[in-house]
Amino acid sequence: MATNPMEQFEVHKIGPEIEISGINLSFTNSSLFMVISAVLILILLLFGTREKKLIPGKIQLISEMLYNFISKMISDTAGKKAKPFFPFIFSLFVFILFCNMVGMLPYSFTVTSHIIVTLTFALFIFIGVTILGFVMHGFKYLKIFVPSGVPIVLLPIISIIEIISYLSRPISLSVRLFANMMAGHTMLKVFGGFVISLGLIGGWLPLSFSVALTGLEILVAFLQAYVFAILTCIYLNDALNLHH
Amino acid sequence: MKKLFALIIFLLFLEKNLYSAEAGMPQLDPEYWPSQVFWLIIIFLTIYILISKIFIPKIKGSIDLREDKIRKDLEDAKTFKEQAELKLNEYNSLMETAKIDVKKIISKSRQKLNEDMQIKKDEAQKKIDAEILNAETEIKKFKKDSFNKIKSISEDITSNLVKDIFGEDLNKSSVEASVQQTIKEYQKGK
Repeated sequence: MATNPMEQFEVHKIGPEIEISGINLSFTNSSLFMVISAVLILILLLFGTREKKLIPGKIQLISEMLYNFISKMISDTAGKKAKPFFPFIFSLFVFILFCNMVGMLPYSFTVTSHIIVTLTFALFIFIGVTILGFVMHGFKYLKIFVPSGVPIVLLPIISIIEIISYLSRPISLSVRLFANMMAGHTMLKVFGGFVISLGLIGGWLPLSFSVALTGLEILVAFLQAYVFAILTCIYLNDALNLHH
Repeated sequence: MKKLFALIIFLLFLEKNLYSAEAGMPQLDPEYWPSQVFWLIIIFLTIYILISKIFIPKIKGSIDLREDKIRKDLEDAKTFKEQAELKLNEYNSLMETAKIDVKKIISKSRQKLNEDMQIKKDEAQKKIDAEILNAETEIKKFKKDSFNKIKSISEDITSNLVKDIFGEDLNKSSVEASVQQTIKEYQKGK
């Protein structure tokens, strides 16, 4: 019996219905997996920082590598000025990575495969970066839409393109992550369905695809978390160091 | 690759009932959007605060600790190395002076030895020369004596022979003269 490959993305409430001023804020399976990811992150970091060993143990090494990885990523893309935002980028990267990875477990729910989740992040980053840009540079921040070294004739067109590309940042950022996660999980489900429907004789081919796709999806899960974090760094860089 | 795609499309046809069910994306159903945003904000805020207030300072602390330790160790190693080099220089200079001293001592003792040897040699030479002189005079004397002895023996023998053969005594001077003559002839003939 084949099931709908989109069924895995359905959200249903767990426990009692919570309603505050007419808005449904019930605890759902999505919230549950957010909590699971958060708890896993906290466990990892708790064990990673439990003792400050000179020669780190495995978990301490993982947390330190994570720290160095993100620290390097920020200093490479956004420079020294972005240091106050390190905890945010760190949390963002780790949270998205863990949500993606937890989503790779069978029968689990992928939090980041929901546009509303990724859009929340993306809008927060977009609004935050825009406010930061205006705070740092005042009205000059609008220079970001006027690239230097462009012929005056082309300037209006270029500026319009720049404005559109700037405004589409939250959409591209959120849709990239959401679509990647959704497509990957849908594909895995479809191939899984083939394994069942083709049975013992023909099911081996889609099974091998499933195995290969699982590997690919783990790569994508890491890559998308990385891309999300590094794009955030690049947007931060635009706001902090006005280059245009 | 084409075959693969054909296979997938074929399989999709087999799975028609896959999409016969309610198609569409649950993601676009706004029923639980506020709930998701609400819980996301709460949970993300929680881990953000925990990470930024507790875990990042801890990780940074342990990394800094290690870097400090490494830096300190390197500095220690540097100072130790410098000290070792200082000691080595000291040792080298000590060795240098010691070598010079040794050379001095060796040359002094050699000179002294040479002088001693010279003195002893000279003494020995003198002794040897005196001995040689003594021996030579003795040899000369001996030679002379032997010649005279031979001469007197020959004279005796001659006078005896003459006496035995001719039965008469020759006077001594004529015998001496004839022996002298014979010796001279002999020495000439030689």
